[in-house]
Amino acid sequence: MEGVSYQRLPKIMIREMKDDYLKFNLTDTDASMANALRRVMIAEVPTIAIDLVEIEVNSSVLNDEFISHRLGLIPLTSDLAMGMRFSRDCDSCDGDGQCEFCSVEFHLNVRCDSDQTLDVTSADLRSTDPNVVPVDVAARALSSDPSSFDSDQRGIIIVKLRRGQELRLRAIARKGIGKDHAKWSPAATVTFMYEPDIQIKEDLMETLTLEEKRNWVESSPTKVFDIDPITQQVMVVDSEAYTYDEEVIKKAEAMGKPGLVEIYAKEDSFIFTVESTGAIKASQLVINAIDVLRQKLDAVRMQDAEADFKEFTDHMQGGG
Amino acid sequence: MNAPDRYERFVVPEGTKKVSYERDTKIVNAGSFTIEREDHTIGNILRMQLHRDPNVLFAGYKLPHPLQYKILVRIHTTNQSSPSQAYNQAITDLDKELEHLKKIFEEEKSRFEVKPRDY
Repeated sequence: MEGVSYQRLPKIMIREMKDDYLKFNLTDTDASMANALRRVMIAEVPTIAIDLVEIEVNSSVLNDEFISHRLGLIPLTSDLAMGMRFSRDCDSCDGDGQCEFCSVEFHLNVRCDSDQTLDVTSADLRSTDPNVVPVDVAARALSSDPSSFDSDQRGIIIVKLRRGQELRLRAIARKGIGKDHAKWSPAATVTFMYEPDIQIKEDLMETLTLEEKRNWVESSPTKVFDIDPITQQVMVVDSEAYTYDEEVIKKAEAMGKPGLVEIYAKEDSFIFTVESTGAIKASQLVINAIDVLRQKLDAVRMQDAEADFKEFTDHMQGGG
Repeated sequence: MNAPDRYERFVVPEGTKKVSYERDTKIVNAGSFTIEREDHTIGNILRMQLHRDPNVLFAGYKLPHPLQYKILVRIHTTNQSSPSQAYNQAITDLDKELEHLKKIFEEEKSRFEVKPRDY
């Protein structure tokens, strides 16, 4: 009973790529696929974050749950997350979620003994796994020039201590997804927009005076159009700056020149921007999102034999 | 205080099936699939993929209530096909599209690392 395939073959073109930033074009697919990828990147790609805190001593000004919450929000390098287990389905530890397959332990032990206020930062956290550390600590270790991090960048501040105050705790980091709690989201922002297709009607445009052209170009809130200084022709300088505000279309109508410009959204072409928290690289975030979405689709497959049997028995019962 | 546990949104309770199918009592080749613990992410791509199949006369999904963590996908097909067949074909096609997407993304990434395109 194999049906005909209606599969699409989308295209991708990367335009900018840094560790925590990615910009690419996705074409030959529809908005449902683009939106599914965006939703999965934000809420369903797993990372590692502190989830359980056992406070031994806390004489700081912040209360225990306040500090625990701040610890949870520190992004941790999560390249291992895809291969890790969720502590709820880990069978090596009986549900308490404290084993090598599903958790990483952290220790923090700081005491202030000077008259100067002491900052407790993410750099004071000691991890039991060198692959899972706060992202700013990892960035500093990788940097070829440690002096490029000046004294202002000492890590993420957890709490400040006065003379005599102490903070001592043990924390368990676990794998999780953004749907459970935003601290597990690897994405800072993920957005996509339709690629605009802007066409200026040249013959109509040439009926305008230079002053009118300037007024029309200025009516766009973003810098989409400009006037060529030599030929004095209006041209598109940055079509992607267009925000679909239709101000230029309204301006053309107000000037008595409707149809001066035609702007369409290409409905099968998307411009994506992905910003990562640093937990995983932006490019890896896209790859992981595709993998997660495939796993989700696989899980919602109807078991073949079961479905066919149901169809068959329903048919035998002769409904309809 | 009486808020449902967060994990209820994505953990299928024991003894519950992830997907179940119920045939329509009045129309032939029509029925609805109940998918537990899924939302618009799956619902919308499935619906749009089903619309590409000419044997599908109707395909739609709904999230009945924000606190009922399930979606309903309703499909009506011609007698050349069946809801189960169209449903499974849509999933297979989406899976192949994503497999292709992953392949070309990785190719484009390694190509970009060698020589970034000017923009």
